Amino acid sequence: MTELLGVPPALLFGQVLIGLINGLFYAMMSMGVAIIFGMLRIGNFVHGAQYMLGAFGAWFLASLPQLFPGLGLPSLGYWWALILVPPAVAAIGALTERLFIRKVYDLEHAYGLLLTVGLAFVIEGLFNVKFGAAGQQYGVPDALKGGVNLGFMFLPIYRVWVIVAALVVCIATWVVIERTRLGAYLRAATENPDLVRAFGINVPRMLMLTYAFGVGLAGLTGVMAAPIYQVSPQMGQSVIVIIFAIVVIGGMGSIAGAIVSGIGLGIIEGLTKVFWPEASSTVIFICMALVLILRPQGLFGKDTSAHSGADITTARRESILENGRLWIPVLAIVGIVLPYLVYPVFAMKILCFALFACAYNLVFGYLGLLAFGHAAFFGAAAYGAAHIAAVWGWSPELAILGGTALATAIGALFGWLAIRRQGLYFAMITLALAQIVSFYAVQAEWTHGEDGIQSVPRGKLFGLIDLNDTMTMYFFVLTVFLLCFAFIYRLLRSPFGQVLRAIRDNNQRTVSLGYSADRFKLVAFTISAMLAGVAGGMKAIVFQIASLTDVHFMTSADALLMTLIGGVGTILGPVVGAAIVVTLQREFAEFGAWVIVVQGAAFVLCVLFLRQGVVGTAESWLGRRAERRREAELGAPAAEPKEEAAQ
Amino acid sequence: MTQDAIIETRGLVRRFGGFAAVDGVDLTVARNSVHALIGPNGAGKTTVFNLVSKFLDPSEGQIFYNGRDITNTKPADVARQGMVRSFQISAIFGRMTVAENVRIALQRPTGLSFSFWRADSVLDNLADRVDELLDSVGLLDWRDRPAAGLSYGRKRALEFATTMALDPELMLLDEPMAGLGQQDVVRISELIAEQAKNRTILMVEHNLSVVAELADRITVLARGKILAEGDYKSIAADPAVIEAYIGDDID
Repeated sequence: MTELLGVPPALLFGQVLIGLINGLFYAMMSMGVAIIFGMLRIGNFVHGAQYMLGAFGAWFLASLPQLFPGLGLPSLGYWWALILVPPAVAAIGALTERLFIRKVYDLEHAYGLLLTVGLAFVIEGLFNVKFGAAGQQYGVPDALKGGVNLGFMFLPIYRVWVIVAALVVCIATWVVIERTRLGAYLRAATENPDLVRAFGINVPRMLMLTYAFGVGLAGLTGVMAAPIYQVSPQMGQSVIVIIFAIVVIGGMGSIAGAIVSGIGLGIIEGLTKVFWPEASSTVIFICMALVLILRPQGLFGKDTSAHSGADITTARRESILENGRLWIPVLAIVGIVLPYLVYPVFAMKILCFALFACAYNLVFGYLGLLAFGHAAFFGAAAYGAAHIAAVWGWSPELAILGGTALATAIGALFGWLAIRRQGLYFAMITLALAQIVSFYAVQAEWTHGEDGIQSVPRGKLFGLIDLNDTMTMYFFVLTVFLLCFAFIYRLLRSPFGQVLRAIRDNNQRTVSLGYSADRFKLVAFTISAMLAGVAGGMKAIVFQIASLTDVHFMTSADALLMTLIGGVGTILGPVVGAAIVVTLQREFAEFGAWVIVVQGAAFVLCVLFLRQGVVGTAESWLGRRAERRREAELGAPAAEPKEEAAQ
Repeated sequence: MTQDAIIETRGLVRRFGGFAAVDGVDLTVARNSVHALIGPNGAGKTTVFNLVSKFLDPSEGQIFYNGRDITNTKPADVARQGMVRSFQISAIFGRMTVAENVRIALQRPTGLSFSFWRADSVLDNLADRVDELLDSVGLLDWRDRPAAGLSYGRKRALEFATTMALDPELMLLDEPMAGLGQQDVVRISELIAEQAKNRTILMVEHNLSVVAELADRITVLARGKILAEGDYKSIAADPAVIEAYIGDDID
C-alpha cells in the first residue's frame, strides 16, 4: 500500500502527528485561558505573549554564554529550562496580576481584555525591538534526539516525549481542578468570593496564584514548543486567536472542553493541511462558526442566560457634548478649516478613521458589545472598493458603495453568528471570525497577498468630478464623513435608538416587554459594519491601496483604542480619539518597531487611568457641575438623598 | 367551574445537572383569576415561573397559552402575544428617565421600533398615555428623573407601570413584594388588585398575608412537585402544607 485516501501515508501520518502535537499545545494553552477566565473572569489575551516568554526563556538559558560573554555563565539546556522557566513565567504572571490585572476585576469584562491586549502589545513589541522579527533556533535536547522508523513514517523521539508530557500535564490539571479540594475552593471562589473568604481563605492571593498557574502553563508550553518551532516575538500572536476560538468551541471555563477541543482541532487542522491546504489556517475558525450555530454554549459549556451589555459610558443624553445640532455644524467648520492647517492627506486619514471609530462605537459604546473584529468590515470594503475601481474601472462612488455592500453582507453574517453570545465571548468570536477574512486576504488571488491592491485610481466622482485633486478628494471625504456622522446621530435618537438604550440597560426586561433583543442588536451590528465599510472603501480610494494592514487584527484594535481614548459611548469621543491616535501613529512612525509598544502602553494607561476617555472625562466634569448648580438652585440636596445614596 | 384555562402545563420538568428543580408539574391557571405560587424555599416556584414565561426551556413537558403550544416559543414572542412578566430584582431601565421607561413599553405596539431613520419625536404622541400610567402609580412628579435614582419601592411601581403599559392579558409577577417596606406593600397590593379586575395574574409570592388577600387560587409547590391546590382557606388547613412549611423551618 503506497497511498492512503489518495495521499502518501508518510505525509498523512506526519501531518496527523504534527496536528496532535499542535493540538496538545493548544490544549495546554486553552486550559490556562479557560482557568483564568473561569476563576478571574479575565479574557487573558496576553497568554500568547506569555507562551512566547516561555520559549524565549528556554532560549535565554541556552544562550547565556553568548548573551553575557565574560561572566563565565554556563549554557543551561532543555531540562534546566523545563524546571526553571515555567515557574519564572508564572512569577512574572503573578507580578502582572498584582500590578495590573487586579485593578480590573470589578470592572466590565471589556477592560480586562483591553488591558491584556495592551500588555501583549507591550511585551511582544519590546521583544520585537530587541530581537527583530526573525526567529531564533533552539535545538532538541541530546537525550531526545533521533527517532524511530515505523515503516510508514519516521517518528522523532522528541515529539513522542512532547505528546506524553503534554497529556500528563492536561490530565493532571483536570484532576486538580475538578477532583480535589483545592480545585473545589477555586471553583467556589469564582461563584462567591465573599463566602470563600468567610472560610478563612485569602481570596486575592488565591486569584493571584490561579493567574500565575495559568500563565505558568503557557510558559511550559513555550519551553516544550521551542525545539519544534522558531523562537520569535510573534510566535504567540497568531496562536492566541486560535486559542480563543478553541475556548469558544470547548465552552468557556470548561477544562475538559479546552483539552478535548484543543487536541481535536489540532488534528483536524493537520488533516486539513493534507487534504485542503488552503483552508488549513482557517479551519479552526470555521469549526467555531459551526459550533456556534449548532451549540452556542460550546461543546462542554453550560447554558448561560443572557445579560445586559457592558455599561461603560458616562455620556448624559441631555449634555451639551451630546447635542448633534451643535456639534455637526462645529465638525463641519473644523473640517473645512482642517486641510489648511495640516496636510490634507493626513486630514483625510483622520476622517476615515474617525468614521471607522464612530461605526465601531455604535456597537461597543451603544450596544455595550465588545466587538473585536471590525477590521474585517473595514478591510473587506477596502479590498472590494479597490478591486472595483482598479480592475473593473468603475467610478469611485460605485467602488465605495460596492465595498460597503460587501462589508454589510459580511457584517450581517458575522453578526448573526456572534449575537448569540455576549460579553467576552462576543469579543473572542468576532476576533476569530475577522481572522477568517484576514487569512482569506493573504491567500486569495485577487487580493494579491503581501502586495495588496495597489495604484487604485481615484477616478472621477459620478464620472464628472476629478478626485485626483487633493482638495476635491478631501471635501468629498468630509462630506461623506459628515453625512455618516449625522446618520449615526439620528439613529441614536430614533425609536430604534430608544430600544437599543433599553437593551443595553436591561436586556431581559426588554425581552419581557416583547422586543426580540437579538434582532435589534443584529440590525445595529450590521449598520455598524456598513459604516465601517464606508470608511474602509473611502480609505482605499484616498490612499489608492488596499492591503493586509486593513484587515489585520491591529486595525480592529485601533478602532477600539480610538473609541476608548476619546470616550466610549459619546458621539464625539471616537472623532477625538481618532485624531489623537492617528497623530500619535504619525509621530511615532519614525521609531519603527516602538509604535506597537507605545500603542500597547496607551491601552494599558487608558484602562488604568482614563477609562472615560477625553470626552467622557469632560462629560463627568460637566455633569458634576450641573449637579452642583441644581443643588444650589433648590437650596437643598435633591429629594430623598438617603435613598438615592443607597441605590 | 367552567372557567377556561389561560395557562396549562403538562408534565413540566426542568433539571439542572442531575437535580430536578421542577418535577412533573401540571398547572392550570384560570382566565381572569389571581393565581399564586407558594412553597418553601427551593420548592421550584421561580423555576416554574421562568418556564411559563419562557425565560427557561423545560427539560420535558409542554406549556399551553390560550390553548396554543408555546413550549418552543421565544420569550419576546409570548410577550407580544400578551403574556408579560416582571422580575424579582426590579427590572427598570436605569439610564432612562422614568417617563422613557414607560414609553419604551408603549412604543412596542406602534411598529416604529425598527425605524432608525426617524427622529424619536414621532413618539411624542405617547406622552399623554405615559403621564396617565405614571399618575396611576403615583410617579408623575418623577417623570423626568433618571430611573436609577428612584427608591426601591418606586422602582417597583415604575416596573409595574411599564408592565401595565402593554395592557397584558396575563401578568406574571415574580415576588412583587420582595424587599418592600410595609407602606409599599400596601400600595403595590392595591395596584395588583386594581389590575386584576380585567386580566389574569400569576404570581410567586412569599408574603402569605398578601397571598391570602389577593389570590383566588393557590398552588403550593414542594420539592418540585405540586403539593396542594385550592383557595387560601383550604390550603391553610391542609396538613401536608403545614408539614412542608414547618419541616422547612426545622431544616
